[in-house]
Amino acid sequence: MRNKLTSLQDAIALVSNDAVVALGGNTLHRAPIAAVHELIRQHKHGLNIVKTAGAYDVDILCGAGVASAVSAGFIGYENVFGMAQLYRSAVEQGRVRANEHACYSVIAGLRAATQGVPFMPVNAFALSDVPLAQGYRKVADPYSDEEVYAMPAIKPDVAIIHVHEADADGNGRIYGSLFEDVLMVTAAKRVILTAEKIVDGATFEAQPELTSISGFMVDHVVHAPRGAHPCSCHGIYDVDLAFLSDFSAHTQSPKQFEEWLSQHVSSAKC
Amino acid sequence: MVTSDVLIPIVMARLLRNGESVFHGVASPLPMVAILLAKKLHAPDLVYLNITGSTDPVPAHLPRSTVDPALFAHTRSRVTLTDLFDLSARGKLDTAFLSGVQIDEHGNINMSLIPGDGGDVHRPKVRLPGGAGSAAIMPTAKRTILWRTKHDARTFVERVTFRTTGGNVDRVVTPLCVLKRVNGALEVETIHPDVDSEQVRAQTGWYVDVDERTPRTPEPSDEELRALREVDPDDVRLIEF
Repeated sequence: MRNKLTSLQDAIALVSNDAVVALGGNTLHRAPIAAVHELIRQHKHGLNIVKTAGAYDVDILCGAGVASAVSAGFIGYENVFGMAQLYRSAVEQGRVRANEHACYSVIAGLRAATQGVPFMPVNAFALSDVPLAQGYRKVADPYSDEEVYAMPAIKPDVAIIHVHEADADGNGRIYGSLFEDVLMVTAAKRVILTAEKIVDGATFEAQPELTSISGFMVDHVVHAPRGAHPCSCHGIYDVDLAFLSDFSAHTQSPKQFEEWLSQHVSSAKC
Repeated sequence: MVTSDVLIPIVMARLLRNGESVFHGVASPLPMVAILLAKKLHAPDLVYLNITGSTDPVPAHLPRSTVDPALFAHTRSRVTLTDLFDLSARGKLDTAFLSGVQIDEHGNINMSLIPGDGGDVHRPKVRLPGGAGSAAIMPTAKRTILWRTKHDARTFVERVTFRTTGGNVDRVVTPLCVLKRVNGALEVETIHPDVDSEQVRAQTGWYVDVDERTPRTPEPSDEELRALREVDPDDVRLIEF
């Protein structure tokens, strides 16, 4: 297969403004933060971010003006740092549209894209105001006339997934939790892997079943050690609470946030 | 006097049954502690499920984020989030722990938003984190146990301003009492020790039928207190208070 190794800058340069971008990981864990920071450095705008449950990744993209819509079930720092202030104020001020989902409805939309169908029935929202607010509609079962919610396909232009190991062909290994990352790979038009380690693909041959992501579905591979920081990467590093605490303290005013961005993101080498 | 951070997880653990499957999602330190506590006390065969995709993890330390890799320790298999939602959707999840910024008389929760001018949901007055999986889980899990570490009339409202979801709510555990859903409405089942029934009435946004004859939540036993110290020696659950 062709060598898909590229620099972070070149991989992210291919993400167009207004793209639908799926981010792997869940809340504070294995989110592709090196790529998120590069999206900010390249001044992308108008992105619709797809995620089941997001935290720092979605929050900072909203604060930096990169995201204009967020399609997700949950955005917050769990109990660790409370609300995602940048996301929250961006939605309240109308700069970001919150496309509210149950996490399962994001999954249903990604499944529809994965299977090449326009929508996917989902057993959710039976007792919810979310469908009316978001325009989610029902379809009738043609065999029984029973009605079920139909989630429109979510077809990300790009999925960005941070993995533990990848080879130059794009075969990727994730240790620990998988979350919805493989589904994002199959649903997306283009896939970027960022990897803690680039390894010789021959080493995967002994146990190929541990390779969750097949290289033929991947377009670009980027070597990004600590590429999930300040989120955790299973077995390698934990959530960086001190970093996030400092970040959180700088999200209270736009000026402080600008200063924080220029110090930690804009000038940072990747 | 027993404090809420001790009583709430013990009461939540008592509600769990041996052999059933129990799930908690993001931002759920108290359910994490309660499940581990129940497994230690009376439900060793309870199947513990969470977002990391582990089953029956044995964490070396309790994490503050309940999606942390610490909750993947000693699992013997890995499932995805899709597998967990599918389990609930086909009616095979026994019990889920969920919560709400607002909880109403019928057990509906709001985790989504406080509407803006004229009921605008797209320019909300307050954007909340979102219900995570609750709009899928709460109507399909066999039962849901809600918990909150705050019990006041702003949280326990007559009617939620936006319904993230309703569903199969069984019990609600609060710092003041345990509520049980009977015929679609939440009633006070027991009042915690040292809590005045008048306080429960005053701090609940709908009329609750309580008086001095309302049953009391049993005090924690020495065994329960000891097990709680063993499960959560660093008091990680305090971040919810």
